[in-house]
Amino acid sequence: MRTILPLPAREPKAGRPEVADVWRRRIGGALTQLAIWVPLAIAAGHVVVFTVWTTWVSFTASTLMPDYSWVGLRNYWAVTRTANFQIAYVNLLIFGLGFVLLTMALGLLLAILLDQRVRGENVLRTIFLYPLAVSFVVTGTVWSWLLNPGLGIQKLVNDLGWTDFRFDWLVQSDKAIYTLILAGVWQGAGFAMALFLAGLRSVDGELIKAAQIDGAGPWRTYHRVLLPTIWPIFVTVFVILLQSAIKAFDLVRALTGGGPGISTMLPTLVVYDFMFQRSELGRGSAAAVLMLLSLVVVLLPYGLYVRWQRQRQARA
Amino acid sequence: MPITRRRLLAGSAAGLAFPALARAESADKPRLTAISQWSAGSDGAAISALGKLFEEHGGIWQHNPVPGFTTEMMNKLRAQIIAGDPPAVSQLKGPEIAAWSKIAPTVDISTLVKAAGYADKAPAELAKSCQPAGHWIALPLQVYRINTLFMSTKGMQRAGVTRAPKSWAEFNDTAEKMKAAGMIPVANGGIRWDDGMKFEIALAGINPDIYRRAIMQLDIDALKGKEVLAAFEQLRKLANWMNPNIAAQGWAVNLPAFVKGDMGMVLMGGWAQGNLMRAGATPADFSSGPAPQESGPPCFDLNADCFIFWKPKGADLEAGQKLFAELVMQPATQEMYSKITGSIPARTDVNLQVDGFTDGQRDSAKNLREAIAGDRVLLSLGHNMAQPNGMTAAMIDVLTDYVHNSAIPAAEGQKRLVEAVASAQ
Repeated sequence: MRTILPLPAREPKAGRPEVADVWRRRIGGALTQLAIWVPLAIAAGHVVVFTVWTTWVSFTASTLMPDYSWVGLRNYWAVTRTANFQIAYVNLLIFGLGFVLLTMALGLLLAILLDQRVRGENVLRTIFLYPLAVSFVVTGTVWSWLLNPGLGIQKLVNDLGWTDFRFDWLVQSDKAIYTLILAGVWQGAGFAMALFLAGLRSVDGELIKAAQIDGAGPWRTYHRVLLPTIWPIFVTVFVILLQSAIKAFDLVRALTGGGPGISTMLPTLVVYDFMFQRSELGRGSAAAVLMLLSLVVVLLPYGLYVRWQRQRQARA
Repeated sequence: MPITRRRLLAGSAAGLAFPALARAESADKPRLTAISQWSAGSDGAAISALGKLFEEHGGIWQHNPVPGFTTEMMNKLRAQIIAGDPPAVSQLKGPEIAAWSKIAPTVDISTLVKAAGYADKAPAELAKSCQPAGHWIALPLQVYRINTLFMSTKGMQRAGVTRAPKSWAEFNDTAEKMKAAGMIPVANGGIRWDDGMKFEIALAGINPDIYRRAIMQLDIDALKGKEVLAAFEQLRKLANWMNPNIAAQGWAVNLPAFVKGDMGMVLMGGWAQGNLMRAGATPADFSSGPAPQESGPPCFDLNADCFIFWKPKGADLEAGQKLFAELVMQPATQEMYSKITGSIPARTDVNLQVDGFTDGQRDSAKNLREAIAGDRVLLSLGHNMAQPNGMTAAMIDVLTDYVHNSAIPAAEGQKRLVEAVASAQ
């Protein structure tokens, strides 16, 4: 810089901002780091610390308050033997599969229909996405009225003249779990649709044109070209829905409250019940740890899959 | 006036200082922090009236209701205890008083109880639960009879029923008549304790001694006995007469239909009266008495609300506890409270012949005195009086499942109850 003699007067002016720039950049960089790492560390700390603590408590004799005397697997044994717990996991299987598969099917159908460049697509998309803006508690409450045979759909149809019509799943022990699926699908289908639609729109137009030139009809285009191209989105939607099914709590609490009887118990409800209704912290923690394990069972294959795919892409 | 930095500072300083000043001013005034589950309806009205009374006696009333079940209130209590800041008093009852008194320091109020002559006025079972370590740490406020049958006046007319049933056979006849008249005989809720309570009323009505052994003492032989089986059979009948459309709703949603005569009977503690009156019903719309009773005079299946006194920080809270304890033990306070909620006073010497009490409450109070004399006072299962929360919940799981699943035979229900008791022990 000093060699540029024709402009000596400018040198100090040019020098100062440079120094300030460096500092500004440094502070900015530090702030960015701070903004990322501090919350991340706190969040991770919370998750890790409380997970470890809950796991620890699950091996202790804690009841009303934490009590750190070791009892081994006794809480696990006691919890898994309760009718509540067994019903909850059977229900999770029914609800999880029903909710995830139906939501994906309906979401995909809506996405494909919307993909036909229909008029008023934005309005329709908003309408279908709207349930997502409603919390599960509200969904549960609204559906608990709609499905109540004495107030909702059944009464409406009966009053219209079809007096034999029965739609009383909500109060039937063996069918109430399907009302959860119904309400869950209503809520989740719009979300699945949005993801699928985004996927469909992201497919290269050339690909579709090529398929059309080759004489593929709409069915074949979707079946053979579009859907296989967006299959990673299927995996994503599947995992997001499945983990939300496993941790479903508010929906069942508002819609059936675990009833009739204990027929719609879900694992989350069991945890809540043991911890906060029965004041058995040890057993509640054991149920919570078992829930975490069931989430791991779902998320671990997904994580491995993502890793495998990344490696494959790196190789390609 | 422009806002300058100095003015802003001065303003905030004043804002910070004034509450402190106010606090200093009221340091001598008795203050009470309290939590309970009573937020609305007749319960909310009663506790508000108690708070007003406390304020009239010069106290500062700071009540934080936690709506929902008692357990919801307990979660807040637990959090406050862990944080080292328990309320001066909280609602708590039955075996929970003993359990919770072990986790945080309480206040010995024996001298206050002695001064008020309260010890021999409250039923012995209640007095015992308030002194888990031999001295008083809690005070009973009101008592409910769980085994109470409410009859709809219009419903009785509609079904041609002239009096309340006295035995389960009569009850079943009455229910059949009501069903034939196109009514729903039993007004029920879809919440679990409600189902548990129906069983408890059935068993207490069949044989109070067996109830005491099976439910209160968890005697396996009694649990496996024929009386418990009979109670399951009666519970199935009750379930078949319930409103089938009740999902997860509370029992009180039925009250308008009950008053209109579309539903005939309510098996519910005395608070049903408080709810009915609060909803605009008059004593002419319903009558109440003991639930069906076999094997002897009516027993008294007792549920009671107590306040436990936690060790406070500060002289104002101590003074508040003293004032509150004195108020709660006064007959006039209990009379005022029970008139609102439909309970009967925990003091057995309160005169219920005065205006404002119903015949049902008078009958309930007489029932309690006689049951104390005849050793027929039972503690409620559904309302956490007989067993701690964990055991109660395990038993009610079985009962609520049984009520809502008619495919379970009575013997199977009984077997599951025995298993649930064993695994929760």
